[in-house]
Amino acid sequence: MTNHLILEVGTALVLIAIAAVLAGKFKFSIIPFLIILGMVVGPHAPVIGIIDLTFIESKEFIDFLGRIGVLFLLFYLGLEFSVKKLQRSGKNIVVGGSIYIFINFTLGLLYGLINGFPLQETLIIAGIITFSSSAIVAKVLVDLKRTGNKETELILGIIMFEDIVLAVYLSIVSGLVLGSATSLMSTIFSIVISLGYILLFFVIARVGTKFLNKILNIASSEIFIIVIFAALFFIAGLSETIHVAEAIGALLLGLVFSETEHSDRIEHLVVPFRDFFGAIFFFSFGLSIEPATLGGAVWLTLGAVAITIIGNFVAGLIAGRKADLSYKASSNIGLTIVSRGEFSIILANLAVMGNLMPVIKPFSALYVLILAILGPLLTKESKIIYTGLDKIFKWSEKDKKKKMMKQSFVQKEQNQTQSS
Amino acid sequence: MDIRESELPGIGCKFEIITKENEKFVIVIHDDGRRELYQFDEDHEETISNITFTDSEARKIGAILGGMTYEPKALEKIEMAFDGMIIEWFKVENEAPIIKQTIGQLSIRNSYNVTIIAVLKKNLKKLFTPGPESVIDTGDTLVISGERQEVKKFINELLVRKGGS
Repeated sequence: MTNHLILEVGTALVLIAIAAVLAGKFKFSIIPFLIILGMVVGPHAPVIGIIDLTFIESKEFIDFLGRIGVLFLLFYLGLEFSVKKLQRSGKNIVVGGSIYIFINFTLGLLYGLINGFPLQETLIIAGIITFSSSAIVAKVLVDLKRTGNKETELILGIIMFEDIVLAVYLSIVSGLVLGSATSLMSTIFSIVISLGYILLFFVIARVGTKFLNKILNIASSEIFIIVIFAALFFIAGLSETIHVAEAIGALLLGLVFSETEHSDRIEHLVVPFRDFFGAIFFFSFGLSIEPATLGGAVWLTLGAVAITIIGNFVAGLIAGRKADLSYKASSNIGLTIVSRGEFSIILANLAVMGNLMPVIKPFSALYVLILAILGPLLTKESKIIYTGLDKIFKWSEKDKKKKMMKQSFVQKEQNQTQSS
Repeated sequence: MDIRESELPGIGCKFEIITKENEKFVIVIHDDGRRELYQFDEDHEETISNITFTDSEARKIGAILGGMTYEPKALEKIEMAFDGMIIEWFKVENEAPIIKQTIGQLSIRNSYNVTIIAVLKKNLKKLFTPGPESVIDTGDTLVISGERQEVKKFINELLVRKGGS
C-alpha cells in the first residue's frame, strides 16, 4: 500500500499539471480548474488498473502537502505586507481601500446575518465575500494589457490595502474560530491572546530587525533556505499549540521577515514553493468536497455572487470618482477587483478547521469557482458593461461636461496670461 | 515634457509621459524585466496601441532612442564644432614617468599642446586649473583636454607605466 504512495501523489500531480496547462491555454487562473479537478476525482472516481483516482490511500498525505501550501501562501502574504508601502501609497489608495472594505464587509456581514448564520460563520462568510484575489487581479491586468491604464494604480493599491487588512483580519478571526471559546468571556480571552501574539511579532519586527539582519546574512543559498524553512515550520507549529492557526504563525513570521533587508531574497526563494504547494492545496480543497453537497449551497452562493458584484462595482465607482478618474475608468475598478480566489479558500479552510457549519465549504468552493471565472470575464468585457450602464446613467455626458469645463477654464487662464 | 512616475505593487513601475505635442504614452517596467509601451488617444483616456519588449530589446531600443548608435542630422553641426576636441579622465598609473614632477617642469602645455583642467588627488581633494607648481602623484586622476591625437600621445608617454607592462 505504502509502495503506491508516490505513484498516487504522482498521479495527482500529473492531473494538476494537465489542469494548469489547460488553464494557461484558456488564460484563466488555475485555482478554479484545480478545485473542479479535485471535486471530479475522489472516492466516487474509478480505479483504472494501477491508477487510483479515488485518492483514498493518499488523501492524508495530499492534505498534508496542501497544509504546507497554506503555510507558504500566508508566509508570502506576510512578506509582502509593508507599512512603509502603505505610507508611501498616498491618500487615494487609503481612501479607496477603506471605502471598498467598508462597503463590501458590511454587505458580507449583513448577508451572513440575514441568512441566519451564527457570528463565527458570518465573520468567515463576510471575509470570503470581502477579499479579492491578488493573484488573479494582477494576472488579468497584465494579460489584458491594462497595466498602463489610469485606474490600474488605484486597483493595485486597493488590492494591497486589502491584503494588509486581510492579514490582521485573519489573525483575529482565527483566534476566534479556533479558540475553544464557549462564553463571551472566553471569546474575548481568545481574541486578546491572538492580538497579544500578533503584537509580540510586531514588537519583534521592530526591535529585532538589526539582530535578524545579522543572523540572516548568510551567503550560501543552501544554508539560507534551510534556516528560513526551519523558522517557518517551527514557528507555525508552535503557534498551533496556543490556538493560533499555524497559517497565522506563518503569516506573522512573514511580517517579521518583511522588515529585514533580506525580504526580497526570501520572497524569491518562497515563490516557487508557494506556487507548487499552493496548487496542491487547491486540489486537496476540491478533493475534500463531495460534489453532491454543492446543490445545497447554490442559492446561498448565487446571492453572495450578486452582492459581491454590486458591492465591488459601487465601491470601485466611488473610489475612482474620489480619485478624480472618469466614470469609465472608475467602472473598470469594480469590474477588475471582483475576482475571488486563494484568500476566500483560505478563510473557508479556517472554518473547516474550526468545525464550523459544513455548508461553508461547498459555498466557498462554488463562490470561488464562479467569481474566479466570471471575474476575469467581467474585466475583459468592461467596455460593453460600461456602454450598457452608460445608456441608463448618462455617465459619458457628465464626463464630457467636466472636460469641457476644464478646457474652458484652461482657455480662460491662457487668455488672462496673454492679456496681462 | 511631463513625466510622472508611480509604483504598481506586485507588477513593477509605471512612467506616464506627456510630450510637448500633448501626446500621452505610458511605459511600464515589469519586475520580471519586460517593458510595455502604451500609446493613448488624444483624450488621454484609451490606449490605441501597445508593444512589449524583453529586457535586452528595451536596452537596445533605449540606445537607439538616445542617439548612441546614430545621431540625427540636425545635431551634426554641434558635433563639428567640437570635432577632435576631447576631454579625458585618466588615473596616473604606478611608476609612470610623470610621478613626482610638477606640471611646469614638464611644460606640458608647450610640448604636448594639451591642458590639464583638473586633478583629483588620491585623498579625493579636487584641484581645479592646477598651476605649474602642482606635483602629480600615483593614483591622481587627471582631467585633460585637447585634440584627440595629442591627448592620446600625452597619456601614452607620461601617464602609463613604462617598461615591464
